[in-house]
Amino acid sequence: MLDSSLSSLFGILFSPHMMMLMTLGVLVGLFFGIMPGLGGKLGIIFLIPFVFGMDPIPGAVFLLAMHSVVHTSGAIPSILFGIPGTGPDAATIVDGYPMTRKGEAGRALGATLCASGIGGVIGAVFLSLLLPSVEPIVLAFSPAEFFLLAVLGITFIAALSGDSLVKGLIVGLFGLIIATVGLDPVSGQDRYTFGQLFLWDGIDPVTAVIAIFAIPEMVALALRGNLTAGRSETSYSMSDVVRGCIDVFRHWFLTLRTSLIGAFIGLIPGLGGDVASWLCYGHAVQSSKTPERFGKGAVEGVIAPETANNSKEGGALLPTLYFGIPGSSGMAILLGAFVMLGIQPGPGFAAGKSDVVWALIWTLAIANILAVLLLLAMAPWLSRIAGLRTGLLIPFVIALSLLGSYLGAGAWQNFMLFLGLGALGWLFKKYDWPRPPFVIGIVLGPIAENSFHKAMALWGPAFLLRPLSLVLLAIIAATLVLYIIRARREAVAT
Amino acid sequence: MNRILALTASLILLALGSIQQAGAQSNLFDGKTITYIVATKPGGGYDTMGRLVARFLEKHLPGSRVIVKNVPGAAHLIGAKMINSADADGLTIGTFNTGLISWQLTATETDGLDLARMSWIGKAASEKRVLVVSAKSGLNSLDDLRKPDHKVKMAASGKGAASYQETRMLTRAFGLNLEIIPGYEGTEAELAMLRGEIEAYVGSESSLKPFIANGNGKIILEIGGQADSPNPQASAHARDDTAKAIIDFIATQAQLSRLTAGPPGIPADQLKALREAYMAALADPELVAEAEKLELPIAPASGDAVAERVRAAFDQPPATLALLKELLQEE
Repeated sequence: MLDSSLSSLFGILFSPHMMMLMTLGVLVGLFFGIMPGLGGKLGIIFLIPFVFGMDPIPGAVFLLAMHSVVHTSGAIPSILFGIPGTGPDAATIVDGYPMTRKGEAGRALGATLCASGIGGVIGAVFLSLLLPSVEPIVLAFSPAEFFLLAVLGITFIAALSGDSLVKGLIVGLFGLIIATVGLDPVSGQDRYTFGQLFLWDGIDPVTAVIAIFAIPEMVALALRGNLTAGRSETSYSMSDVVRGCIDVFRHWFLTLRTSLIGAFIGLIPGLGGDVASWLCYGHAVQSSKTPERFGKGAVEGVIAPETANNSKEGGALLPTLYFGIPGSSGMAILLGAFVMLGIQPGPGFAAGKSDVVWALIWTLAIANILAVLLLLAMAPWLSRIAGLRTGLLIPFVIALSLLGSYLGAGAWQNFMLFLGLGALGWLFKKYDWPRPPFVIGIVLGPIAENSFHKAMALWGPAFLLRPLSLVLLAIIAATLVLYIIRARREAVAT
Repeated sequence: MNRILALTASLILLALGSIQQAGAQSNLFDGKTITYIVATKPGGGYDTMGRLVARFLEKHLPGSRVIVKNVPGAAHLIGAKMINSADADGLTIGTFNTGLISWQLTATETDGLDLARMSWIGKAASEKRVLVVSAKSGLNSLDDLRKPDHKVKMAASGKGAASYQETRMLTRAFGLNLEIIPGYEGTEAELAMLRGEIEAYVGSESSLKPFIANGNGKIILEIGGQADSPNPQASAHARDDTAKAIIDFIATQAQLSRLTAGPPGIPADQLKALREAYMAALADPELVAEAEKLELPIAPASGDAVAERVRAAFDQPPATLALLKELLQEE
């Protein structure tokens, strides 16, 4: 095993052909990540005509290098402008953007790059260690466990809600209600669509996140006036970036934990990148000794989602390669491309064709490191964009948000929705209500609802008594108890 | 190395906007831009096939430019409506799910969309539908699905989806004892069969092929296949008229797969040119080779044949129509 692993590594590192493909793939991936609304899925669709006719390993290396780094650059617009480059980078806004407003853009970028790189490498390690024994783990998660995982995520709302549990829960439940807009997953009945076809598919989470976070910030900036002032506070120096990198190592245990959680969520088909980053964000808040700093520019709030959305790629490859069944739409397209290249995943593949498997594992690791190095080299140039005058920044961000929302959902009516949700976000901000629970509600709502229906149809209420269900219920209970103990202690202290 | 150079060059070319060469021969679509609407998000079978057809239509309509536009949403309805309401000049065409035939049969408000009136340009494939039982279930034949003491758990996506409606139709046609568990999207049904919570599933043969090849299940019934197919044909099991009508209806939708259509009333000249270019594109050896690599089955038919079959699906004896409506309607 070590033999084939090392020969595969050297085969990539010492082949100029492979390294050029890898670099090209990474560059394309970084571009598709940084442009709001594009993302890795579209990246593969764009590249498929080019890999047509390539040999299997170079073609797969090229595609995977592209797909595995989109979230590294996707966090950059989250941090600088409050607009996520890709859906899973939305969680990074919550603390990344306030860091920029505090003048810590460089530090946030440094943290996001290092966290992404380390997350990606840990994801690759996770993939290599678990590939032989993944079957029982993947098959252990049925709709019953999906439902309880979603409930666990929603329980984190308690920890995320800042000063008031009640406010957090109200906002979170409101997010859950918004998540029910669209066709009922079971009966096909349309709900809250008001005769509008574009609402049949529900509220696009990317639109919701951009509207709830970016628009209120821009309104606040505009209201503060001073539109023609010189360079804004967002410009930074390289020493800031280095400081952010060091932060990741200072919080090494959090980095490790969220990388592993991210990879694990990636491994369970059907949960996806959004769930990975938001759950890890929730975990960072919930496990912090000073949760009140979150949402105001805590560097851990950047580290957690960014490690997760890169490490989940390694996890997501597991069921894709082992069963030949993709866990997400992005993986489905990647799988389709692999099949086109002559790579046919399945149980035999994971055990047998070790050269292809090792090439994929090494690609994950090397591409992630390469992406960080390339972006570090570009960091001074990014600072120039970040240093735009407020008067230029606001229209730029609004245009970029609208573009991201349009590309994400593809319907012009979404602009109305965008404005409505933007106004709501502004009210949340103005009256100091927490915004992250709202987004968690939207992201987890459909998973919770759909899995609950299925679990009830299959087992009735007894689904809560399955062994893994009981474990998850225990974790949920422990989370709540911990929260209550901490809240009491704080109440006594004040 | 050359390949990398070529790749880089192509990327740059693409970024600059592809350069079009005007065809030498004069043509109705010379210098025109055709918008090809795909009624799903990027990725997936409809999108892949749509892009392939669009690319080769451009080749076989000299001087034209065919751009693909994804208009996803509402189970292909938004894209289909957009095609239907476009100007009938042949410059807006596209692809959507044949399942809209079922939708139209039961819809109370169709918003002007009438599939029988659309300008059919052709179809690219026959997606055979199969009833698959999982290896874990221990089920082996259609008879095992009739046992009164055991309700077989079937996966389906939401009510109104093809898997759901076809499961109901098969239940009626063959007197099966099934319980539908809705909410399984895409490949979730396959995972659920691996886990064991779901025992059987109705889906398209091409998408279930790897699942079966990996030894995870077997086909016990096929709809829309040829007589020489290795799988048991549903039409051979259909004893009475009801069963025959039901199987025929499913087969019609199955055989008209990956279709291309335009709005009603495209002038005869344009329609003829589009149909000819379509058939030429589908016969193009390059397209055939690419489709084979992508594992997209190809079985083309021209627009006039498609139009006839679509009209036939709506033009049935009242008793049959009433039965189909009842089965398609949500409870």
